[in-house]
Amino acid sequence: MADSNVLLRVENLCKEFPVDSGFIAKHSKNARSVHAVNNVSFDIKAGETFGLVGESGCGKSTTGRCIMRLIEPTSGKVIFEGNDVASMNAKELKAMRRDMQFVFQDPYASLNPRMTIGEIVSEPMVIHNTVPDKDERIEIVRTLLDTVGLNPEHINRYPHEFSGGQRQRIGIARAFALRPKLIICDEPVSALDVSIQAQVLNLLSDLQKEFGTAYLFIAHDLSVVQHISDRVAVMYLGNMMEYSDWKTLYAEPCHPYTQSLLSAVPIPDPDIQASRNRIILRGDPPSPIDPPSGCPFHTRCPIAQAKCSQDKPELREVLPGHFCACHFAEPNPIKESSIEL
Amino acid sequence: MFGIGLKKRAKQDLRDTPIPEGHHLLEVNDLKMYFHTQDGIVKAVNGVSYTLDRGETLGVVGESGSGKSVTSLTIMGLIDMPPGKVEGGDVLYRGKSLINMTEEEMESVRGNDIAMIFQDPMTSLNPVYTIGRQLSEGMRLHKGMGKKEALERSVELLRMVGIPNAEQRVKEYPHEFSGGMRQRVMIAMALACDPDILIADEPTTALDVTIQAQIIELMQEMQQKNGNAIIMITHDLGVVADIADKIMVMYAGSPVEFGTRDEIFYNPIHPYTWGLNRSIPEPAIDEKHPLTPIKGNPPSLVDLPKGCSFAPRCPYATDKCHNEVPPIYTTETGHYAKCHYCNDKDFVAKNAPATSRTKTAPIAEKKGADA
Ligand SMILES: Nc1ncnc2c1ncn2[C@@H]1O[C@H](COP(=O)(O)OP(=O)(O)OP(=O)(O)O)[C@@H](O)[C@H]1O
Ligand SMILES: Nc1ncnc2c1ncn2[C@@H]1O[C@H](COP(=O)(O)OP(=O)(O)O)[C@@H](O)[C@H]1O
Ligand code: SF4
Ligand code: SF4
Ligand SMILES: [Mg+2]
Ligand SMILES: [Mg+2]
Repeated sequence: MADSNVLLRVENLCKEFPVDSGFIAKHSKNARSVHAVNNVSFDIKAGETFGLVGESGCGKSTTGRCIMRLIEPTSGKVIFEGNDVASMNAKELKAMRRDMQFVFQDPYASLNPRMTIGEIVSEPMVIHNTVPDKDERIEIVRTLLDTVGLNPEHINRYPHEFSGGQRQRIGIARAFALRPKLIICDEPVSALDVSIQAQVLNLLSDLQKEFGTAYLFIAHDLSVVQHISDRVAVMYLGNMMEYSDWKTLYAEPCHPYTQSLLSAVPIPDPDIQASRNRIILRGDPPSPIDPPSGCPFHTRCPIAQAKCSQDKPELREVLPGHFCACHFAEPNPIKESSIEL
Repeated sequence: MFGIGLKKRAKQDLRDTPIPEGHHLLEVNDLKMYFHTQDGIVKAVNGVSYTLDRGETLGVVGESGSGKSVTSLTIMGLIDMPPGKVEGGDVLYRGKSLINMTEEEMESVRGNDIAMIFQDPMTSLNPVYTIGRQLSEGMRLHKGMGKKEALERSVELLRMVGIPNAEQRVKEYPHEFSGGMRQRVMIAMALACDPDILIADEPTTALDVTIQAQIIELMQEMQQKNGNAIIMITHDLGVVADIADKIMVMYAGSPVEFGTRDEIFYNPIHPYTWGLNRSIPEPAIDEKHPLTPIKGNPPSLVDLPKGCSFAPRCPYATDKCHNEVPPIYTTETGHYAKCHYCNDKDFVAKNAPATSRTKTAPIAEKKGADA
């Protein structure tokens, strides 16, 4: 796909973490490792929101952190605006980070408690020396605070004086300070109550409209991801299982895991909830230290065949723009007859 | 004050006493519990009322800090007094007041009649004892079972909650269990005494949706088998849509609306309930609906607004709202709300959000088609 619109391309990204530390890890041939991210590929277009969902521990955050090179990928490529992030030196990396920013999940832990919110929001401008003049910086910070719905008069206050939702706005103002092309949002609303969550989601949409920023939006809440995303990808046990435009993914998932995941989300409308066919998966996700052979989902998949435990399905384009890693991919592959096991 | 006679009485399970005429299994009447802290009086539970019968499920929803957990902990007698103090109201279980019980009587209630599952199973399981020992303990204490019998029953319970290889797993420690399995152990522990009422405080919030679906299914199966009542505390409106018969919506320590599931979802009358409804992303099929957040933040429970506690965030607030605490307005069906205008039919009709029952093209039809 030679799309000139592509801002970021991730190719066969892998990340392993060693499990055993010390002597064993260094001296044993079969030292174990967590396969946190396994051969993940996708691309993000300029100005779009790419949602990444999956259960806890499936490798969403690790993917995001590898893209920014906050951690070193084990293998694979991350190409941002045509340049390979993995081979960048410190200077190039710094330049790249002007255009790629991060918003973290925890609005409490991610802000330095000893800095005023003015210092926090202006820090990227100081690091990258984009606005050398201090008064000018303060003016920009005041405008940014206003844009994210905070009172510019509070510029000299400290993070602990703000609520969770307000702190998340501070993090967002900071991420936007350099007008980046891509922001990796790792569970930006997961710690917030629904009424506050809606405020932050609307803010992110408004800012995107204004600045044309692309988002990699990582979350475990499928309804939130559906709401904000143009395209959505589903991960399981470090693997990319499926991705496509949001409408197709939610209406006609081709992967049994996506279909099960969607059917497990309770819908806040009793009539609809009562009329749905639910697929209740048995068992827990396997350990990423010792992932199953063949298809990573075969231990829980309601339609698994003998082949599934041997051959690992490749991610393939099953319909234009719709990628899926299942031997038996088709729209809504789990049929009613196979639901109650 | 109480002598040996009471000890004997405590041994008799309250749940075997019939519910007196005109009473419910559980009745909470205008319960108030405040914390007296250095910063002032935290009005954590500020006039909670509801009734619950056997086989029923009550869903309690509301934002963080709205008093959901503290309400249940007060009912269970698990709040430290001081700093807590019951300032008014009562809780009747099978017609008997729990508020005035001695600690000894309450202990018996907690072991036999009302069980609670906590949000974080890791903090309520002891890491140094095997799962089997922890499960057995309650049964030996409250049911007078022997060691062997209790362990056998533990294996049975684990099997019942869907833990494979139970004979082996009773010998393991909590850290050897996944989050979902620990929560199942907590459910097994709560069910060990076959409680009359099961209080579950965000039992699935820390879990993934596929595991959440398993746990909810399990709680429902157990309820069908045992006929117990459930109080399900959650911030997830999807979960209450799934399992609740009745719903209480809490805001700043008070229930702002209470009704049947249908009333709360299809005929809500309180502006805060409307606001919640408009804040959650709808499961869109063709087009996405914009979210309308509730502006601002919840008030501090130490310094509640003078009038309606929702007034600073309510789009319909009037001078009256800012100055006078709204009364509780109750309909014939027991549906109630705390708002100056919720009994004004025109006000409700004009401002309540559209639902799948009021919209012309019901989403339910489309959903049914793809099955
Ligand atoms: N021991 C305590 N001392 C003082 N205040 C307390 C104490 N425990 C709870 N509170 C306060 O009581 C209020 C209600 O707390 P509660 O735990 O019931 O909230 P909740 O609705 O369960 O919230 P969440 O959704 O976050 O679990 C909060 O303002 C809380 O800070
Ligand atoms: N620094 C680390 N060291 C070892 N294992 C890690 C580390 N970071 C993440 N992991 C493991 O990698 C897997 C993926 O983690 P993560 O990307 O955080 O998942 P998610 O964000 O999808 O919840 C998990 O099994 C996690 O325990
Ligand atoms: S490859 Fe087989 S096991 Fe894997 S998802 Fe498809 S059908 Fe299920
Ligand atoms: S009493 Fe007034 S402020 Fe309170 S909810 Fe009703 S309309 Fe809103
Ligand atoms: Mg994460
Ligand atoms: Mg709570």
